[in-house]
This record gives sequence, C-alpha cells and structure tokens, in this order.
Amino acid sequence: MPSQDILVIGGGPAGLEAARSIADLGYRAILVEKRDRLGGTPDEAGYAALTPDLRNAEEAMNEMIARVQNNPNVELHLGATVVDAKGQAPDFTVTIKNAKESKQVNVGAVIICTGFQHFDPGRETQKYGYYEFPDVITLVDCEKMLKAHRVVRPSTGEPPERVCFIQCVGSRDRRIGNEYCSKVCCGIASKEAIEIKQQLPNAKVFIFYIDMRMYGYWENEIYWPAQEKYKVNYVKGIATEILQRDGKLLVRGEDTTMRRPFEIPMDLVVLSVGMEPSAGTREMAKIFGLKQNKYKFIETIGGALDTVSTTVPGVFAAGACTGPADLEDSISAAGLAAVKAISTVRQAETVKA
Amino acid sequence: MSSAVESQVLNAFPLDLSQDRYAEVPYEEKARLFEEVKTDIRYHDVLYGCYECGICVAACPSARFYDFSPRVIAQACAREDVELVYTLMNDSIWDCSQCFSCDRCPRGNSPGGLITILREVAVRNGLQSARDALEGYGRIIYKIMSTGTQVSPDMLQPDAFPDWGTHVHEIAENLEVWRRALPPETLHTTDIGWDVDEKTMIELYLIWHMTGVMDMIKEVDEGLFMILQDVMEERLEDAGYDDVTFD
Amino acid sequence: MSYVPVEEIIKSQKTPGFKTTPEEAPTEDFHDILFQLEKEGELIVQRVPEPYLEVPTKYGRKKKIPLQKTWHHKSCGQCGHIPGYSTSIFWINRKLGFDYIDPRDQTSCTAWNYYASATSNAPAQAAVAIRNFSSAYETGYFPIIHCGTSFGHYKEVRHELLHHHELRRQVRDIMERLGKKLVLPEEIVHYSEWVYAIRDRIAEHQVIDMSNITATVHPACHYHKLVEEDAVYDPEIYGAQRTAIVTGTLKALGINVKDYSTWFDCCGFGFRHILVSRDFSRSFAVQRKIEVMKEEVNPDVTVTHDTGCVTTLDQSQFAARAHGRKVGIPVMSDSQIAALAMGAHPYKVLQLHWHNTDNKPFFEKLGIDWKKKWQEFEEAVEKIKSGEKEYLTWEDADA
Repeated sequence: MPSQDILVIGGGPAGLEAARSIADLGYRAILVEKRDRLGGTPDEAGYAALTPDLRNAEEAMNEMIARVQNNPNVELHLGATVVDAKGQAPDFTVTIKNAKESKQVNVGAVIICTGFQHFDPGRETQKYGYYEFPDVITLVDCEKMLKAHRVVRPSTGEPPERVCFIQCVGSRDRRIGNEYCSKVCCGIASKEAIEIKQQLPNAKVFIFYIDMRMYGYWENEIYWPAQEKYKVNYVKGIATEILQRDGKLLVRGEDTTMRRPFEIPMDLVVLSVGMEPSAGTREMAKIFGLKQNKYKFIETIGGALDTVSTTVPGVFAAGACTGPADLEDSISAAGLAAVKAISTVRQAETVKA
Repeated sequence: MSSAVESQVLNAFPLDLSQDRYAEVPYEEKARLFEEVKTDIRYHDVLYGCYECGICVAACPSARFYDFSPRVIAQACAREDVELVYTLMNDSIWDCSQCFSCDRCPRGNSPGGLITILREVAVRNGLQSARDALEGYGRIIYKIMSTGTQVSPDMLQPDAFPDWGTHVHEIAENLEVWRRALPPETLHTTDIGWDVDEKTMIELYLIWHMTGVMDMIKEVDEGLFMILQDVMEERLEDAGYDDVTFD
Repeated sequence: MSYVPVEEIIKSQKTPGFKTTPEEAPTEDFHDILFQLEKEGELIVQRVPEPYLEVPTKYGRKKKIPLQKTWHHKSCGQCGHIPGYSTSIFWINRKLGFDYIDPRDQTSCTAWNYYASATSNAPAQAAVAIRNFSSAYETGYFPIIHCGTSFGHYKEVRHELLHHHELRRQVRDIMERLGKKLVLPEEIVHYSEWVYAIRDRIAEHQVIDMSNITATVHPACHYHKLVEEDAVYDPEIYGAQRTAIVTGTLKALGINVKDYSTWFDCCGFGFRHILVSRDFSRSFAVQRKIEVMKEEVNPDVTVTHDTGCVTTLDQSQFAARAHGRKVGIPVMSDSQIAALAMGAHPYKVLQLHWHNTDNKPFFEKLGIDWKKKWQEFEEAVEKIKSGEKEYLTWEDADA
C-alpha cells in the first residue's frame, strides 16, 4: 500500500543530510546503516579535518549525527542492511536485515547514499609498492596520522624530513579502467600538505601532479596558501615508480615543466587514491535494479539539471554513490534527493485523495 | 634538510623544437607521411592523448642519455602537429630503445609502439634518418631476412665487438669446435643461430615477398635489396618458385 | 593529546597483502575473443596439453603452463651468442624426463627487424609468428617461447590478430599459400614461466646448496612490460606488485634475493643500439644496473630471463672494468642457475665460457671446482678436435 515514509540507505554525510531534510519537512525517514554507528567514511576512515575549510571532522560529523539521532521523525537501523526490494513508487516493500532478524518496511520512495570506497593502490598501473614498502601510505592513512598528531614513517616511527604526495592514483587511468577524475584528491592532498607543515614545520613537502584541480574557492583557500604560505613544492609530473635506496624511498618521475627526469629520496610517500563505488553501492544498484555506469557507480538520468534521479522512478541516489563527489556535492545532492523523494510521496497522496 | 637527501637532478635536455629545421620540405609531403602513420592499424592502440604526466620519460632509458622524449613524440602526434612530427621522425625516433618501459602510460598510450610505426613510415619512404640509422646495420637485416635468425655465432668477431674484450677472440678462435661441443643437435651451426630447414626458409622468403618487406628494403638500401634478392631468388627457384611477384 | 600507535594500525592494515580480483580486471581476457573466433571458424586454437600447471597473472587470472610435450621456439640471440641458455632449458627437460621437440621448422620471431630497424610491418610479423605456431601445431607439441622479445612480440601480434579482421584475412591468405593454417596457441608461454611453474620440482632435484648465494634479479622489459596483464604475478612474491618470474625461482632454490633501486630499469640493449650505438647500451647497463647492484647489494650473481639482458649486462662489464668502474657481477639466466642447482655441468651444459664476466668467485663460493670442470670440458673438446667424436652428446654432457 502506498506509503509516505522514505527509506534512506547509508549513514554518511549524504544519508545524514537526506534524513534530516526529510524529518525537517515533516516526513518520516527510515535510515539504514550497515555499521554500528553513523558518520560514514569520514568517521570510519578517521578523517582529521574536512576539505576545504579544515574544520574538525569529528566535531562536524557529530553535529550532523545529533540532528538525526534523537529525531522523532527518523527511524534508525544500525548494523543493518537492505537485502531485498519489491514494488514501485510509492509502494516499495523493502527487507532490512540485522544480525538478529529480518524486517519488512513499506516506503514510498528511496534515497541511496551508499558512497564510495578508496581505490586499492595494489592495483595501480605505476609501480608504487604500497604493499611492499611500509613508508608508502594513502591519503586515508595520512589522515589518521594527522588526527593522532603523529605523522611518522611507519618503518621507524620517526617523523619524516621529506614527504611527497602522488596524485591521480587509481584515477584518470585507462589501464586501470578508471578514466574519471576523483575530484577531491587535489584538494585533500593540498589540505594534508598544509597540515603536515603545521605539525612538522621543518618537513619538506612535495606534490607531484598532472593537473591541479582546485575549483572555485579551493584555489584561494587551499592551493595558494599551500604554495605561498606553507611552501609546498608543486611539481608537474607524476612518479613512475618507487623503490628503496639507503632506507629511503626513491621516487622517480619527470618534472615536465623543467623537462628533466627526477629521482628524489623521500621518507614518506602519500598516494592520493581516488574513488570507486563502494560494495554497498554496487549491491544496492543490484537490489533496486538501477542502471550503473561503466565504473559501476549508480547512473543518474537527468544530466546537469537533475543529479539525483535514477533509472527507477522513486529511487534517488545522492553523494559519491553516483560518482566522485566532494562533501559540498554530497550535501547539496542529499537535500535535492530529499525534496524529490518527498515530492514523489506527496504526489501519490494527492492522486489517492 | 640534510645534503645527503638532496634531490638528484639529472640532465636537463634542451631539445630545441622552436625552429622548423625542415622548412624546405613541403607541408603536403609532411602531411602525407603523417597520414600514413595515422592509417596504420596499430595507431589507435598506441595513441589516445597526452596530459603530460611524464611517466613515460621517467621510465625511459633513452631519455637519460639522448636528447629524446617519448612524451614529446606522443604529444606531437596527439596534437597532429604535422611539422613537429616530421622533425621528430628525422631527428629523434631512432634513439628509442624499444624496451616499452613507457607502456605504463595511464592514458593507455604506447610511445614505443608509436615510434615503431613512425620508423616504419620513415623506412618505407626512404627518409634520410632511416638511411642513416640503418647504415652499418645492413648485415643484421641481411642475416634476419636470409637466415630467419638475427644473430649467428660467426658474428662474434673481435673487430665487431672490440669493447667486449679478449673473450671474443677466444670464442672466434674456437668457434667451430665449441659449437660442436653443444649437446643440442640443432646448435652445431656457425653461420646461423640454429639449423633451419630449407622448406622453412623458403616459407620465410615467401612471407617477405608477400608482405612488402622487400619493397621496404629497396627503399632504404638498394644494395642490400639486390644481395637479398639474389640469395632468395636462387633458393626460391630451386624450390620451384620461379616468379615471386604476388600482386 | 593521547598517544595513538597509528603507524602500527596502518602496517597491520597492509599485512593481509594485495588481493587480486580477476573478475574486475580492467583488460579484456583475450581467451574470450580467441575462443569466439575459433567458434566462428576464423582460426584454430591449439590447447595446452594436459597435465598442465596453473600460475596467476597480473590481475589474478590463471595461466596454463604445459609441463611437457613442448615445442621449443628458440631464441636467435641465445642460440647464437649464449648457447648455454637454451642448452640448460633442454637439459632440465631431459633431467625431469619431459618429452619435448627442438624443431628445425622454426624461424626466429624476426622482431629484431621490427624493433631495431623497422624494416618490417604488422602483416609480415604476424605471418612469421603464425607460420611458427602453425608448425608447432602440426607436430602436436605446444610452443614454449625462449626469448623475452619473441614472447612479448607474439603477445602483441596476438592482440592485433584478435582485433583486426583484415589482418587475419591477410595472414590466412599467406598461410594458405604456404599450405599452413592460422593457428594461435591457447596461451603464449615464456620458458621462464615454465621454470617458475616447476620451481618446486626443480628444487626437489637440487644437488647444490645455494643458500649462501646472494642474487639480484633483472626482469626483462619485453617479458613484463609488453601486454603486462599476461605476465606472472604472485601474491607470495613482492606482494603481487612486480612480476614473480625469476625471483620466485631463485627463492625456491634457497638463494637470497636482494632488491636494488633500479629494478624496473631496462638493461640498455636497445636492439639497434647493442649493434650500432653500443656506447648507449654499455653506459646504461653499467651505470643504471650493474654499478647500482654492486653498490647497494654486491651480489654473487645477477639473474635474468631474456637473451638481450644476459648479453648486455654481461658483455658491457668488460669495457667498464677497463675504466676502473665498480663492476664484476656474473650474469646468468634462470635456466642456467636452475640447471646448475640440479647438477648440470658449468661448461658442457651451462656453457659459461660464452659469457664474459668472471664467475670463478661464484663457483668457489658454491664449492664447485671450476678448474676441474673446465679441464673436463677441454678434454671433451679435444676428442672433437681429434676426430674421436663428432659432437658432444647429451650423454657426454652428464658423463
């Protein structure tokens, strides 16, 4: 039977924002999160500060969580996943399963916010040795270090004298099959570079890039300060390989601006890993019968003018489950998805009346 | 920062591409050659586009020793810069070591594979760069084409490899007996890598004729072409192939 | 701020190692196209004979490696200048009782013409490859490729043939005139993959302890850089981040394999360079490979798996030594060192007198009396010289 309740799948930034918007507008959201806690990737991966404003990630996420956690209009299912879906808008019957039991809920619309996962650098086409060398880490690992105020070389536990970021790992790469740009890594790497300089003022920090993609205010809020105030070295040219010499990581590439190959010893190398659809995103696409693009992100059908509608009416997708997205994108899309989902269930009500 | 960890800056290469050294060659001729490159069936597998990441250059052995950049070659072709491609075809492509270290290009390019095509077009059209590059190389082409094996034991002569030391003398002196001291029965040869059947060789000659390779040789080295033609003709005739035109 | 052992957390995350996901491989599985074209009658696929072994390739797909009934596609560079290379491959086959063919109906891949001088073209190269494959097919024995360049080049040729109908037609026409068929093997197998696949069996037959030997590995560019998805990667070796070939074999023999900072670099062979611009090959081999190994590892031996690499790395050391450079590392193929471990004669089988760099300290470290061995070889040669014997036979090699 048609329902006015809206199912939100995923308790990360997009899911939290969608659920809050639905509740604020006087509708009921059923929020399903597979982990035992809310907060999504920023919480799970232990982000220190958000991009671009460097706001404390934990504090920011706690604020978002607080708005839905004790909200009478939000029914929370933690440690639970959606395992089946039947029907069509505004009458879906969805099975939610947790460790103990399965439960069926009747909802009028669905918003999928299952997000992304970080690219596994074991699959890179260059030779960076993430699984071979302890001092090769990812943006996510670096975030953990920054949060703990303990930026060190994992091999020695000592702070690094030289750190570099390598951009586009797992993105913009035809050989890997991820031709897209992951959008956020330039900003995050630059943000982390600044934070490293704040915590280790004597460290020399390099960013090896192909194109720095610092849109809008990211340019003046992150890129320029990183270069001008923190003296981060931006080198146009990506490393081709990393090997060890004298206990250091030897990073090889071409400085394409200066037109010369470089070989620079580093203490710590941070791989700017891109985004891929999470396992949850793939699974939800299957369960709801949504079209996915060639990268297995959920395809939205409205082009630039509708970034949340999927191939199934009444099922919307917001955030990084539809493709690489920064927080600004995710939050905006989540609000839009909430409005569209409400409009779906309201129309149904009107027709019925 | 300690001096021990100073970056090792390698040579900067001043490949000067600002002047068109081949201004006297008509644009149409350069465009014709580039068209030949682009219509090769391998072209679309070896070049997509280039965003100047430099991965190919850092992996390239020739870039460390010559005024050579696989990135510049890929970019020139990607931009369809007909004049620059012509310059590179004349001045640069023969430096490549064809090791394909550049194949890790994230765009999926193979600058090495692109250079293979550029070289073939240079050879087919008898470009001076091809003639120069192949000077002194004729005996190798002769070996490959006439015997089906590139490297024969009797090539190990001190005058050919003076920098390989006295041991080449020793090999040359003992060549025949040392070849016979090889247990595999096919390896007792001295003027060919191994014992190749006559019928096999004839089949190889037929392949050269049928695929236009003989025409390519004719374009860059008339003398070599004539020697090869002689050698092949005789054996082909013996095998009953009187006329080896396959058009 | 409370202390968080964040580096330990990061390290422990990596501990399980890299998991390959073959179903998500970014490249096509050439087998799909190969078998489809076979179904359509476009070509014949020669199957890997049973029993075969399976090894993982870059994206975790399985590659079938024949154990025996192999047709040995020889290498011109090996047979011509370092003949102990192929002799050792054959010797291992015989020692393990494997059936094989050393064919005369085989040309080289002629890729030297293709990569060096460009005096060839795609149809010619494909026709040469298919002529050889077709000859193997006629014998019922499965081709195994000795040369890294032939291996890499044939993988490229396969790609071109599978994707270009017109090229298939051209090659089929040529084959028809030669009375041959358009045959592609189910797998293009490099001999070093075979050595790697049977490394435990080789180790079972090991008679020389090599645990005091330190080695460096040079991976052949044309083995792992050309069509990289069809090269062997093993989670046990370099965490599947680099090709496992050679390194895996040496480890099975108990050899201590050490890393160095120019592992991925080419040897400097360069095809036309090794013949007409040897200053480049020599400088590169010495400065980017041998001296780096010497300085960082000082190995007893460096081991590789291709023709050009053995030649360049070995021969280039002579002139460098004359100039007082830090060189002096013997160079061998994996087949040679594997045969040696199994008790092969250093001169009658490994034929190390064709190599250049001094390997006596290496033998002394292994407790092998090289003087005696050389004398044995000289005696065998005397018999040939005197006419008592025409050739050195396989029986003589083990006598």
